[in-house]
Amino acid sequence: MTVTQVTRRTGEPPSSVLAVSTDGLTKRFGDRTVVDGVNLAIPRGSVCGFVGPNGAGKTTTIRMLLGLIRPSSGGGSILGGSLTDPASYLHKVGALIESPAFYPQLSGRDNLKALARLGRIPTSAIDPALGRTGMTDRAGDKYRSYSLGMKQRLGIAAALLPSPELLILDEPTNGLDPGGIVEMRGLIRSFADDGITVLVSSHLISEIEQVCDHVVMIRGGRLVHQGPVAELAARQRPDIVVAPEHATDLGQLAQILEVAGLSVAASPADGTATVPASGVSAADLNRLAMRGGITLRQISERTHSLEDVFFQLTGTDTAMSPGQEMGAIR
Amino acid sequence: MIGASYLSEWVKLKRKTLLLSTFLGLAAASSLFVVLIFSNAPAHGGGGLPSLQQLARPNGLVFGLTRATFLLGVVAFGTAAAQTASEYSLGTLRQLLVRQPRRITLLAGKMLAVMTFMVLATAFAAVVAFIVANVMAQTRGVSTSAWFTSTGFGDLLNALGNIELAVIGYTILGLVIGQFLRSAVAAVIVGFAWLLVIEQFILTRIIPSAAPWLPGISLSTIAGGGNSDFGISYSHGLVVAVIYIVVATVAASITFARRDVTA
Repeated sequence: MTVTQVTRRTGEPPSSVLAVSTDGLTKRFGDRTVVDGVNLAIPRGSVCGFVGPNGAGKTTTIRMLLGLIRPSSGGGSILGGSLTDPASYLHKVGALIESPAFYPQLSGRDNLKALARLGRIPTSAIDPALGRTGMTDRAGDKYRSYSLGMKQRLGIAAALLPSPELLILDEPTNGLDPGGIVEMRGLIRSFADDGITVLVSSHLISEIEQVCDHVVMIRGGRLVHQGPVAELAARQRPDIVVAPEHATDLGQLAQILEVAGLSVAASPADGTATVPASGVSAADLNRLAMRGGITLRQISERTHSLEDVFFQLTGTDTAMSPGQEMGAIR
Repeated sequence: MIGASYLSEWVKLKRKTLLLSTFLGLAAASSLFVVLIFSNAPAHGGGGLPSLQQLARPNGLVFGLTRATFLLGVVAFGTAAAQTASEYSLGTLRQLLVRQPRRITLLAGKMLAVMTFMVLATAFAAVVAFIVANVMAQTRGVSTSAWFTSTGFGDLLNALGNIELAVIGYTILGLVIGQFLRSAVAAVIVGFAWLLVIEQFILTRIIPSAAPWLPGISLSTIAGGGNSDFGISYSHGLVVAVIYIVVATVAASITFARRDVTA
């Protein structure tokens, strides 16, 4: 399994068009290296998905970008400001870090007021932020009375207060019901429409696939891949799955296809043979089978999801079926 | 910039429940001390309580409040510790630091706001206690004419100033302990255990000579304008308390500025 360690020196955009760029960003807690030499290059105006398994170092990386954790080594630049001086760029950054955290005894509006005053942001920014996240009606209620979805939306509203150029959202769909997830997806896209760069981490790779145009994959504290989602999708060559009418013909079918120079993965369990779709069509396979006197009951194309690619890149053997993704990739 | 942090903290401090419970709680506690002192004051002294004659002197007005200082201090300590530590336990500190990454500025603003809050709460408690003292003086037949002389007002302002200084000291220590322990419950338990048990009942009895060097005793000394129980002068108490506060504040600031925020 190949792991492509991407560096900014390999034909990536210059730093002026990057919202976030890091160079060898590393964090060690004692002997444990949590983030190891990460070189991020996130273009301005992109919606960038940040994915990786549990303990991959996503949150630690985000906290370093926000000045909450001091890097052990390496550096970087956020919106043109140095990572060593968070005050130079954080006034242009909005962030939702892990679960939303507010004062339970205060109303949603007062929580935003406390943050606005702290950031010297005009309190006139509060209502538009509440409106955009659909929180206007409940803004006067105490935060402790909010549902998880409302807490997430208030967290987004807080992140919107400074009219950010960069939004960093750590697991924004956590705990949301399907309707809430769709809403959040729309919200994130709308930020991109406004020209805001969005860095969104998620444990749902499918979410990233749907909402992001750029992706950063991290595993074991190391960068595995980064680049446009489209580029990644292009790497995903589909497979063609064929199944003989009689399962006993599977071995013979596999042999015919191998003789024809194809790479075949036969699966006696479900009576199918899988062939990479590069350079061969479904019609070719049908023709080869017919010539061998085998009738096919199934010819179908199987496309790989971003999840499959993620597992290919990170060296995980077992691909997850849809619905399994929640706990496994975080 | 400190002003922004100060005003932000006030959004939290001025919430009704905290405001009413602190202000009314301190006022009730101070008034209780006044009532107890006036109710139990003997005619001619003795029993460790001021006599009715002493209460009629120019400084008679401040007896009750001075006796309540320790309680005011403990409340100030607990409130301050909870304010700081809860930023960690609630996870709100990360939000605050994104909006104000200059950590010392944030800490300074928060400390000033909490100190102001406690100073105002103490002032309110003092006003209520003085009103109660006047009422109690009438019921016990204590003449209050000396209270309203220039000497009386001078004593009053002097005592109030000392009490406020002590409350500020307790507040700063509370903020610092809360900052170090990062848990409101732990900070309050540790602080109360130190002030109420370790200092008052253990250290001062086992090693009485240590009393002039203890932070809580030093703050009590400031509040009382001196400490006759342990023979500690006001200036000694002031110097020791200031040293504690400066060292604690510097240590807390350095820790806060350098510590990774993982909560």
